[in-house]
Amino acid sequence: MSLSVKDRGAWVATYRYIHVTLMEMLARWVPTTPEMEVKLVFGSHIWYLAQHADALGKRTHELRLALQHSIPPVKEYLGFLDELGRVTETPKRIAGMYDVMLPALGVRLRSYLERTDQLMDAPTVRIVERILDEDQRMIREGRGLREELPAVGSVDGTWVRRLAATESTVSDPVAPVAAVASAVREAS
Amino acid sequence: MSAPPAYETFTVGGLALRRDPAREPCYRVARGHADVYLEAPSALHEEAARASIHRNVNNELLSLEVAAQTLVDFPDTPWELRLELARQCWDETRHVRLLFARLLAMGGKKGEFPIINHEWNVTCALDSMAARLAVQNRTFEGGSLDLLKQVIDFWAQRGDHETAEVMEVILADEINHVRFGNVWLRRLIKDDPRNLLRVANAMGFLRQIGKVLETKPGELVIDGQDLAGMHPQIAGQSTERAEAGFTVTEVAEILRKEEALRDRGEVEHRA
Repeated sequence: MSLSVKDRGAWVATYRYIHVTLMEMLARWVPTTPEMEVKLVFGSHIWYLAQHADALGKRTHELRLALQHSIPPVKEYLGFLDELGRVTETPKRIAGMYDVMLPALGVRLRSYLERTDQLMDAPTVRIVERILDEDQRMIREGRGLREELPAVGSVDGTWVRRLAATESTVSDPVAPVAAVASAVREAS
Repeated sequence: MSAPPAYETFTVGGLALRRDPAREPCYRVARGHADVYLEAPSALHEEAARASIHRNVNNELLSLEVAAQTLVDFPDTPWELRLELARQCWDETRHVRLLFARLLAMGGKKGEFPIINHEWNVTCALDSMAARLAVQNRTFEGGSLDLLKQVIDFWAQRGDHETAEVMEVILADEINHVRFGNVWLRRLIKDDPRNLLRVANAMGFLRQIGKVLETKPGELVIDGQDLAGMHPQIAGQSTERAEAGFTVTEVAEILRKEEALRDRGEVEHRA
């Protein structure tokens, strides 16, 4: 069954929430990461993620939600984001963001492109395509840090696999529409 | 946001400042200007040039960190302002890259000179968005508009046109950062007049910390001149200030203060 306008709005608002969270995560990591080169990559990616959140936030309004509306993802996904945000070591921050988070996000975004109607939902499709393109650049730049600074390349593979497994246990970060409506009612 | 928790602050002269941002072990963090400036820069021409760029690299890094931390500390800020701060983060990373490339080209390296983190220590101790914009964007970066104009001329006169060009690029970006600071500061005060009081308190805090950290007599002597109580001779740049959203009255006030300092002979004449 095709996605409804309400479904699309919920999806866009949820992914806006995720992008704002990632922007804030990198912002928190910038002053607390010692290596200058890493600060610079995190710092520039704050702007990419902010632009992605902004584009999604404009789209929420077109989908009959408030401008720049965000909906929190399901609590398991929030738990994953929280776990990633609490990482303190630089190699883990790099691996967590560029080997786990952004590639997994790409998988989820591509899955949405396969599910949504390319014509009816064309404005969202364009936004997501642009995000995917820029995510590739972010991944490239993030992983490039390991060549620039070999010391930040060494990370516990078990930890990376466990983090990826935590992410993948969430089948869909978007909360069911009924749950969202209830949360909105409670908030208002 | 309320004031930063105690574990994130340290005290200088009874004033709580934000703890330093993370740095690599190669850096030595200084608290006073006397620890940062070279004893006789005119005698160590190349080293002084590297020291200057090294200082600029750290200052731009601090601007990145302040903008990033402000995004974190004030999550309920209007989205349009958060977007401006996010853009500023990107701009500051570009500035660091440009300046660091110049430092390397001059034979310099990270940690070659001590660094000083006052902009971060002071700005990130402030507990309101209005205060942060007033101190970081309007005062520190606003001041850099005046300074950068002279810095561009300095590097061009040395024949280092690449560094002069980098400074020109930075100046153009800084005008935007000061402008959005001015625009949003006015908007925040209009929406909530209590912000005016917050700004006044922040400027008072800035003056207090300036007194505590100012160079004491005999502490910083360069080329035989005691710099205690001296202020760098920086001409107020009315064009750049106007582009950055300062009003005609505000620019006139800046020029008047500068004139008063000059009349009292409290300016330092440095090439």
